[in-house]
Amino acid sequence: MKIRTWEYFIREVFISLKRNNWMTFASISTVALSLLILGLFLIIVLNLNNMATSLESQVQINVYLKEELSEQKMEDIGQKIKKLSGVEEIKFISKKEAMERFKERLGDQQTLLTALGESNPLPNAFEVKLRAPEQVKAAANLINEYEGVENAKFGQDVIDQLFELTKMIRIFGFIIIVFLALATIFIISNTIRLTVFARRKEIGIMKYVGATDWFIRWPFLMEGMVLGFIGSIVATMILRNSYGAVVAKIYDTLTFLPLIPEQPFLNHISILMVVVGTLIGALGSTISLKRFMKV
Amino acid sequence: MIHMSEVSKIYENGSSALNNINIDIEKGEFVFLVGSSGAGKSTFIKMIFREVLPSKGTLIINGRNVVTMKEDEVPYLRRGLGIVFQDYRLLPDKNVYDNVAFAMQVIEAPRREMQKRVNSVLELVGLRDKLKSLPSQLSGGEQQRVAIARAIVNSPMIVIADEPTGNLDPDTSWEIMKIFERINKSGTTIVMATHDKTIVDTMQKRVIAIEDGCIIRDEVKGAYGYED
Repeated sequence: MKIRTWEYFIREVFISLKRNNWMTFASISTVALSLLILGLFLIIVLNLNNMATSLESQVQINVYLKEELSEQKMEDIGQKIKKLSGVEEIKFISKKEAMERFKERLGDQQTLLTALGESNPLPNAFEVKLRAPEQVKAAANLINEYEGVENAKFGQDVIDQLFELTKMIRIFGFIIIVFLALATIFIISNTIRLTVFARRKEIGIMKYVGATDWFIRWPFLMEGMVLGFIGSIVATMILRNSYGAVVAKIYDTLTFLPLIPEQPFLNHISILMVVVGTLIGALGSTISLKRFMKV
Repeated sequence: MIHMSEVSKIYENGSSALNNINIDIEKGEFVFLVGSSGAGKSTFIKMIFREVLPSKGTLIINGRNVVTMKEDEVPYLRRGLGIVFQDYRLLPDKNVYDNVAFAMQVIEAPRREMQKRVNSVLELVGLRDKLKSLPSQLSGGEQQRVAIARAIVNSPMIVIADEPTGNLDPDTSWEIMKIFERINKSGTTIVMATHDKTIVDTMQKRVIAIEDGCIIRDEVKGAYGYED
């Protein structure tokens, strides 16, 4: 196709967007809403996944010791762990130290501790760092069997729960997204149907004078794609502006949560949304062209 | 140019529109297609630009086999044809120049050639001074002249006209016929379905008469042959 032909197509698209003003508005809004929800789910799912994997990659085992062990006994356990293959570093955390850390983490919610009074329920512990994450499970199982060890934890429960949650949100999100995508395609195909109807006479003449089917199709296809594109841009802008704010809010209260940093994460999501939006627009047009115009 | 052998058309509802038609129309001919309403003239015309496909037989237009042709070849068949309808079929929101240029635009003709061609065909139909007028500002005869200009702007080998003077008064009809004659003189084949006895009788061209889907008469310098 020649450049002049594309100019002609673009002109036709804008004339028609203006002519169908209300349907144009409705289409863009539905696309924007659908994609906003798609983006939202993506961000949540990806963040949860990120949390789970970042926990999983932590090569640390917390070994909690039984109460009332002698210094010597604790020393022995430490030595034994140190000799295990794959252990890189071992650090003793006393009851007292553990309490200090806990206080730090509570921040301005210290009042919670007053319930404990002078007692310290936290056990003595070792923090064991391993060289590779795949050694963690085996090592933890071994250490669990040692005498004097209450238990050795490496966060598997939390990871499992996070993955479970991610799975549920994914299924739920998928259903909603499919539903919204169908609604969007329906609205766009209706808008394009109006355009086809408004231009049926022109289409007839185009056919008589020998325009190819693709020449006739392009302006309609482009109109659908423009609707999808504009809608997705709106959704992207809303999402980009709110992500930063939400992340900041979360960090205010839950400092330790490993959220995905804004860049380049948001750019990837944005690109994906725009591509999906434009494709949905093209699909909506195609359905309309197939049903209402024999070209 | 146009070759039909043993062409029949039976529509899906079972009605037979054309029955075993054999005809050859050569380059440069001027042919009137006459017959009462419903005789099969429209089907005959529509077959030429493949709006309707024959149910049986061979149909060759400008060397292209219309029956075996693929869908995506149809536009190229039509580029070799100019089609004029009784109801003009102009685009109401485009002016005279744009209505004609539209036919060149959709086949992606070069811009410079387009300007030259559009001006020259509008000159031919005598509308050089109405380039900027909208169809609604023109008389019926003028609108039909725009439609003719659009039909010939891509220099087709064959012009097909379905009752082009059906909506026009006798004087205007003659003006239109003179334009067709001029186009024919330049070598373009013309096939015209008409009910206008005076025109057919006066012009002394080849006349093909169709009744009940069959050719009942084919005369080189024929007359209308019916009493209206």
